[in-house]
Amino acid sequence: MLKISNLHANVEDKAIIKGLNLAVNPGEVHAIMGPNGAGKSTLGYVLSGRDGYEVSGGEVTMNGKDLLDMDVEVRAREGLFLAFQYPVEIPGVSNMEFMKESVNAIREERGESPLTAAEFLKKAKEACKQVQLPLDFLKRGVNEGFSGGEKKRNEIMQMILLEPSLCILDESDSGLDVDALQVVADGVNSQRDGKRSFIVVTHYQRLLDYIKPDFVHILADGKIVKSGDASLALEVEKSGYAFLGKQYEEAEA
Amino acid sequence: MSQWLEQVIDNAQNVSDFLSPARDAALSELKLQGWPGRRTESWRFTPLSSVEKRVVVENKDVTTASAPVIENLEVIDIVFSNGQLITDTASLALPKGVSICQFKDADADQQAAISSLYGKVKPQKHTFGLVNDALAENGVFIDVAAGASIEPVMRISNLSSQPCDAHTRLIVRLGDGARATVMEFGEGSCESLTTAFAEYSIGYKAHLEHYRFAMFTGKAKQVGGSHFKLSELASLNSTLVGYGSELSRLDVDIWHAGEFANAKMNAIYLLAENELFDLHSCIEHAVPNGTTEENARGIIGDGAKAVFNGRIHIHRDAQKTLAELNNRNLLLSRRGIINTKPELEIYADDVKCAHGATVAEIDDTALYYLLTRGISRSRALVMLNFGFVQELVAQIPKTAIADWLLPKLSKRFAEMEVK
Repeated sequence: MLKISNLHANVEDKAIIKGLNLAVNPGEVHAIMGPNGAGKSTLGYVLSGRDGYEVSGGEVTMNGKDLLDMDVEVRAREGLFLAFQYPVEIPGVSNMEFMKESVNAIREERGESPLTAAEFLKKAKEACKQVQLPLDFLKRGVNEGFSGGEKKRNEIMQMILLEPSLCILDESDSGLDVDALQVVADGVNSQRDGKRSFIVVTHYQRLLDYIKPDFVHILADGKIVKSGDASLALEVEKSGYAFLGKQYEEAEA
Repeated sequence: MSQWLEQVIDNAQNVSDFLSPARDAALSELKLQGWPGRRTESWRFTPLSSVEKRVVVENKDVTTASAPVIENLEVIDIVFSNGQLITDTASLALPKGVSICQFKDADADQQAAISSLYGKVKPQKHTFGLVNDALAENGVFIDVAAGASIEPVMRISNLSSQPCDAHTRLIVRLGDGARATVMEFGEGSCESLTTAFAEYSIGYKAHLEHYRFAMFTGKAKQVGGSHFKLSELASLNSTLVGYGSELSRLDVDIWHAGEFANAKMNAIYLLAENELFDLHSCIEHAVPNGTTEENARGIIGDGAKAVFNGRIHIHRDAQKTLAELNNRNLLLSRRGIINTKPELEIYADDVKCAHGATVAEIDDTALYYLLTRGISRSRALVMLNFGFVQELVAQIPKTAIADWLLPKLSKRFAEMEVK
């Protein structure tokens, strides 16, 4: 599915990712945890192809294809989905129009005919219900005036509609109360079908109580420094990142 | 003095018809004013170097051409091709209440009507307007009788396909209580120079729906104008669309000559790489109780330059005027330029006026967000940035025109590069 080998990436000439390796197989859920500044969000941006996130070394393949060579929209059509930590507000473009465009762009890539307005509306209503957003959110500007939790649920709704093969959730739990967290986690779990893979980036172990990871990786100073199963997350929860020692202190500084 | 203008003045000696007194007056004025340079305020940001040393190329040939089809719209077409009128105006099938003639065929009454408006609605300050006064032998007069309501759109097209100079004129008179729609359309991309000026006299309680689509591109230079005189309780709804070219300039004057007149004007300009478009509008509130609303919105591509100068002049007696002027711009690159200048000149003390101008750039974060959802770059740009132009298209009174225009504009926009 996804193979990251010795990835190096810079932001404004500052090295952030410094030799990261990760392999994700179909159906697996990988959690990436780590202290602030470790490069967790940067990883999502680099994989999705954001401008200004410059890859200086290494390679990334998705389904055997060179991911880094693709434009942002092509990566999305190949099945990569990034749920943003801070979803973008776009006044003037309705949530409905936005999602219909994107669903149809991805259907076109798969050789499927575009959904009619009625077909799309039906799907969108179902997805809306699933993430417990009122239907009028479809008519509002994209994320415009949404609360933090509503924005996160809107991201999950997009994920449900786009049916990606690899989902990267960038701190989808931040700023959520327990109920909202449950909704987000239910949304994600509903999409686990043994083939779809997830990279769950989180600062806290809490989300992993709801989304059970197959693997947990600790990202510090641009590298994965420790990998394990779900119990690693509990260890972090209990004793923090102190075990990273000096390396962690550098990252914090 | 420019080489081109000298030739123009020479050639003007050969023009002789019932409009000669007006043509002579324009020539004298032209000689007096001279060639506008960089220090001429109205041409400060729009260099005329490409015209200055141009060699006049006259065209007497008649070349066939046709204006684009607009589906579901009934149109009476009048076409100037490379400056020559190619429509036989005498054989047009016209609804009752409207007459259309070319200047050459005008009878005594029509000559008198044309003379009473020729160079009288359009202010003398426009250099190229004076050139047109002197040279435009090819002209059309549209006369809508009092009380008549003309359903079909009367479209006057200036199509250029040869690198020649073309000077065409339109005079429109709407009688009291008349209603009509007139569209001025221009297109071409070869090394031509078109001056197309139109003067409109809108009678008491009459209503004019007006369009001017200046879609010249590439090497095609155009300097033209639409000039309106509003009588008491008259109304005007005008939509302008400008593409840019090597030189593209429009002057619009709206003259509130009668009280309680209403003018609404929406202008859209879409400039692709390295194009130039200049819109100067001037609203004269000479009498009380007039209203004006003007919205000009444009998108400026890489290396392109737009100039907007919107003047509202409220005379001392024009109490109770309501006037609003707004200009919004989007720059697609750091190398795009907009020179915008809304100007309010108010001499009356009991008026309500507002003006504003904004300049924005592409929102990279929003663009990235749409791209991560698989939406193509060109489509994402249209979704994010075309809305403010779309809003004005949506206000076009005739749906058939809006339906024809919108895909044309969005295609042009989607093809522009963002840098």
